[in-house]
Amino acid sequence: MTALLGPEISWYLAVSGFLFATGALGVLLRRNPLIVLLSLEIMLNGGNLALIGFSRNLGDGGGQIFALAVMAVAASEVVVGLGLVVALNRKRVTLDVDRLNTLRG
Amino acid sequence: MVYGAWICLLSPLVAACAITLGGTRQSRRAAGYLATASCFVAFAGAVAAFIGLLGRQGGDRQIISTAWTWITGGSYQSGLQILIDPLSVFMMLVVSGVGALIVWYSIGYMDGDDEERRYFAYMALFVFSMLLLVQAGNLLLLLAGWGMVGLSSYLLIGYWHERPSAVAAAKKAFVMNAIGDATMALAFFLLIQKGNSLEFGILGGQFSSTVANLVALGLLGGAVAKSAQIPLHTWLPDAMEGPTPVSALIHAATMVTAGVYLIVRTHAIFEQAPKIADLAAGLGALTLLVAGLIALVQVDIKRVIAYSTMSQIGYMFVGAGVGSYPNAMFHLMTHAFFKALLFMAAGIVIHALVNEQDIRKMGGLRQLAPKTYWAFLIGSLALVGIFPFAGFFSKDSILAAAMAHGGWYGYLLWAAGLIGTLLTGLYTFRLFFIVWWGEPSAFVREHFHPLRRDVVGISLAIPVGVLAVLSVVGGWIQFSPWWHPVETWLQTVAEPLVSPESWQEWLSIALSLLLGLSGIAVAWSIYGAKRLAVPRIAWAQRTLEHKFWFDEAYDAVFYEPAVFFANLLRRGIEEPIISDSGRDLGDDTRDLGGLVARAQTGLVRTYVLAIASSVAVLAVVFVIVK
Repeated sequence: MTALLGPEISWYLAVSGFLFATGALGVLLRRNPLIVLLSLEIMLNGGNLALIGFSRNLGDGGGQIFALAVMAVAASEVVVGLGLVVALNRKRVTLDVDRLNTLRG
Repeated sequence: MVYGAWICLLSPLVAACAITLGGTRQSRRAAGYLATASCFVAFAGAVAAFIGLLGRQGGDRQIISTAWTWITGGSYQSGLQILIDPLSVFMMLVVSGVGALIVWYSIGYMDGDDEERRYFAYMALFVFSMLLLVQAGNLLLLLAGWGMVGLSSYLLIGYWHERPSAVAAAKKAFVMNAIGDATMALAFFLLIQKGNSLEFGILGGQFSSTVANLVALGLLGGAVAKSAQIPLHTWLPDAMEGPTPVSALIHAATMVTAGVYLIVRTHAIFEQAPKIADLAAGLGALTLLVAGLIALVQVDIKRVIAYSTMSQIGYMFVGAGVGSYPNAMFHLMTHAFFKALLFMAAGIVIHALVNEQDIRKMGGLRQLAPKTYWAFLIGSLALVGIFPFAGFFSKDSILAAAMAHGGWYGYLLWAAGLIGTLLTGLYTFRLFFIVWWGEPSAFVREHFHPLRRDVVGISLAIPVGVLAVLSVVGGWIQFSPWWHPVETWLQTVAEPLVSPESWQEWLSIALSLLLGLSGIAVAWSIYGAKRLAVPRIAWAQRTLEHKFWFDEAYDAVFYEPAVFFANLLRRGIEEPIISDSGRDLGDDTRDLGGLVARAQTGLVRTYVLAIASSVAVLAVVFVIVK
């Protein structure tokens, strides 16, 4: 696989870093578990973009395969995460991650 | 002959094991008969060995039979072996013979006790231990028997384990004996180091005088502990907590005589250490006086006899110490007869009075138990050494030997022995007159019940009868001025060091007979005819009743400092350093855990922040380091 035409790798990385930072901030700042999960997905996608960008830059398909694996894991993680959110909602627990501090030492 | 000796040794052990393993499948009385039978079999074995030895001459009268090599270490080895020689056969006959009678007597005395089977298993074990001690073919095996005698005496003294006093007495006996065991073991270590052997023959070897003295001292320590001589005598009167036949067994045929046997058996080393031999004689003389004095004020029938035992063993120590081994052994034998007789006659009295032992409550028993009265009278006369009873023949020759030892020391021992004779007459017949003469006391009239002619009565009466006969005729086998078969018999093993002149013999006989009789006369005038009042000297009486404050002194010297020191260690080291450090370690770990636990906020976002910042820091570090 040869390197394709398009923007430089640095652009991809910039977008990837932006996405990752957005996601990370979302995880850190937001308190609604749904949004936290969403932000997690954004972080993962940031990572994926970097993988694909490098793959394209280096002409190596490994990065793309890795990105596919990340997506599969992300999908299953979302299933579990959303399942937890639904279960919390059913128990009429306030959907606020700061209130879920039962594991405090 | 060799088989006879092995049968003698092993049959009580077999009985002890059989009774133990048989458990409740055998009746209580069957256990008693089994133990008795095993002791009689042992006696038969001893007789076989005796007859076998009679058929030999001189040096052939020493056979070592080795079962197998027991311990090997480097160039040292010890066999599991027994020694058959005139001395061991002499002891085998006394131990198994008198032991068998006492075990037989126990069938009657212990009748109705809850744990008779255990009792008879212990008794058989005791006889076995003592036989092992006297038959041991080397010093190591002798020490094994020595220790086992201590163990079985512990078990028997504490037989009535629901009585705290009995348990305390058993522990006391064991601890006192353990001191002796330890000194003996030390002596043996020294022997192994110097001679690389524990055969009896090694004792005759050449040692430097320091080594000989130390070894002899160690052996003397063991002998003193086992034979209840000053300063390790305090366990013996307390040992009266055991059942009366146990007292008879410990005091007459076994255990306390072991010390005398040990000295005679190892006389070769004592002859190399004459100072220690003199010390043994001196301790014996001191003990016979002290015990005789204490016996004057005791009010427990068994304790009076117990102190008389101490006193008589004192005579044996004098005899063995001055080197008159045959006379010490002869007195050991006659003492076994009359002391067993006294204990067992006292046992009949105790039995008839429902376990009452206080002589102040007794009196006038002569009319109620005339046969026991005669038995007790024979035992008492033999103890005092009145012609023609057994003690007369054996005790006087010890006194003559002390005189023949010569020097001021010999005469001192001799004088002590003579004063002891006076005391013996006094305390023996004090007991005798108080218990048997006069009118029956109120207590006696109320509680006395005579022996019935059933198994109990018969097994109590016959051994006493046999011993009464032996106490009369047992001494006739040797009368030092004229004939001495015991001396001839033991000659190859223990040649006596002293041979008293004829005038010394006769002087000792006359004086001791005179003093014994005057002791009896004084006792009679005070307690029998009540013509004299009992002299009351407050401080003397208090001293005697406190047994010369030996127990108190040992408490003050050993027990109290030990407790004080232990408390000091507890307060100074144990509590602050050892036990507190454990607690502190736990506390600190918990505190540390609490500190770390604070990091666990339970807030997911802080975790995320921690992860993110850590990654950021790591990234920066990587970049910089690169």
